[in-house]
Amino acid sequence: MLALSGMAMMLALVLAPATVAAAETHEAAPAAHAEPAAAAHGAAADAHHAHGNGVPDAHSLLTQFGYSYLTAYMFCLSLCAASLYLVFLHHLFDAGWSVPTRRISEHIASLMFPWMLILVIPILLLATRMYPWLTIDPATDHALDVKKGMFNKPMFFTLVPLLITTWGFIARSFRKNSLAQDKDGAAVWTRKNRVLAAWGIFYFSLTLTLVVFYLMKSLQHQFFSTMYGVYYFAGSMWLTFITTYVLAQYFSRPGQVLAQVVGKRQIHDLGVLFFAFTVFYAYIHFSQYFLIWNAAMPEETFWYVLREKGSWFWVGHLILFGHFFLPFVALLNQSIKSNLVVMIPVAAWAWLMHYVDMTFNIMPVLYPEGLHLSFWDLVCWPGLVAVLGYLFLKDFRSHPAYPLKDPRLKEAITHHEIPAPGQAAAHH
Amino acid sequence: MSAPAKTHGLLAEFDTPADLMAAALKCRDAGYTKWDVYSPFPIHGMDDAMGLKKSLVGWFTFTGGCTGFTTGMTMIWFMNKFDYPLVVGGKPLFTPLYAFPVSYELTILLSAFGTLFGLAALCRLPKWYNPLFKNERFKRASNDKFFICIEAVDPKFGHAQETLQSAGAKIIETVED
Repeated sequence: MLALSGMAMMLALVLAPATVAAAETHEAAPAAHAEPAAAAHGAAADAHHAHGNGVPDAHSLLTQFGYSYLTAYMFCLSLCAASLYLVFLHHLFDAGWSVPTRRISEHIASLMFPWMLILVIPILLLATRMYPWLTIDPATDHALDVKKGMFNKPMFFTLVPLLITTWGFIARSFRKNSLAQDKDGAAVWTRKNRVLAAWGIFYFSLTLTLVVFYLMKSLQHQFFSTMYGVYYFAGSMWLTFITTYVLAQYFSRPGQVLAQVVGKRQIHDLGVLFFAFTVFYAYIHFSQYFLIWNAAMPEETFWYVLREKGSWFWVGHLILFGHFFLPFVALLNQSIKSNLVVMIPVAAWAWLMHYVDMTFNIMPVLYPEGLHLSFWDLVCWPGLVAVLGYLFLKDFRSHPAYPLKDPRLKEAITHHEIPAPGQAAAHH
Repeated sequence: MSAPAKTHGLLAEFDTPADLMAAALKCRDAGYTKWDVYSPFPIHGMDDAMGLKKSLVGWFTFTGGCTGFTTGMTMIWFMNKFDYPLVVGGKPLFTPLYAFPVSYELTILLSAFGTLFGLAALCRLPKWYNPLFKNERFKRASNDKFFICIEAVDPKFGHAQETLQSAGAKIIETVED
């Protein structure tokens, strides 16, 4: 029953562009009245062409849906991608502490296939409306001409779904091996996952950068930033640490599935890593901004100039103070990181801030005059999160909640346990 | 104990970290204040077993960091905008933007100094002499033995002998000052 409703929601989201397209044909007549306004906007867009906002048909509902959907999709991709990173890191460092929460990361990462692949379809369908470069002839645009080896239709439409599929394959292999270990406890599964992590992290880091370039940065194809991939990575890790933190807290309450295995140590370490990435994100974003500001070359500055106009100026400041400063000061004290009265509001705030960050990257292209909240934002973000959240919970509930026979499970649980006298021999 | 001024404290030896941990719990619960444990390696959970409060080092770090950041910002403002206004690269005379990297570096530098010197001050270092170093047995604290020392200045020092015995100490010695 629930599975059906989940599928229905998924279908509704995927089919939404088609429904809107149908609605738009009905609106053809009123649209004629809006012609002059649209033309004026078009002229403005032409004038700004070198600045990157030349979205054709910016007033169409379909384009607006596409942008809101992309924002929500990039938000959810953050969770899946960074969860996959957590699994990579766990195996690369041969970590002990993160065993009890690893299954959470494995399940979120495994949403990559097929769900994130299915969910990327609307973006591919609407791509020519959303990405101005897809409809520009490279012969007429120098910035596109020099990048046409990467920014061309066959590459875009092949690589984006293909790479998401391969990530899904990696994530599912991790989970498959981990679940196999639940049955026999053999060390070979850990070794397999370690080998996967060793090459996987290089492959994933390079290809994630590529997909973020395609889906987000190429909205303004003239832009250059070698930090863009790591910028997205930093924000994603930040969001995912606090999300894992909340899930770990929730599922380790008395009587819940992780109550026996997740302790103070896991909670504290997740909090510390969230704090670390608060700083790391700020460091990366500042570095990107500062290098562009300092060099002051028009082919780079236009990206931030656009984002300092109208209310985008205040959105930028919200990111500076809300994404960095507020959580930084709030979490500076050690004991705060396990204080739920502070951490739950901080988690909600972090979700909002990451969405604002995605909005700041995506929306100014469509709405150069300032922040614009549309109906689609209210549908897409909660919609995608609800669908993926439901699918995660379904996976999480139908498998053991933590790696039952992981070789490092015992040390993760007993790390801070004070042994009773006389048990010394057993302990060492 | 006949001459408390001459006695540094009671030194108890244990064989394993677990025994040390259990003994630390007893000392903590008995309410001693001037005592410490010695082990060749860090033992997870010992802070709790000893009932140690959170370290104050963080405040030194925080103060150092704030000082560093303020110093960086003020220094650049003073030099580039106030004392000797100079246009560089067509940029404003002062903006937190280009003052930031320097302020950030100074934040880290002075945080590190705060941590290092704060720690040293709290540990009362440098200290040239500790009576425990005279004890032959204690040398194994850096090898394979575990120790608790309750100092003579502790108000409950009178009960130290029985506490350590009941905590399962193998050998208890008096350490002279």
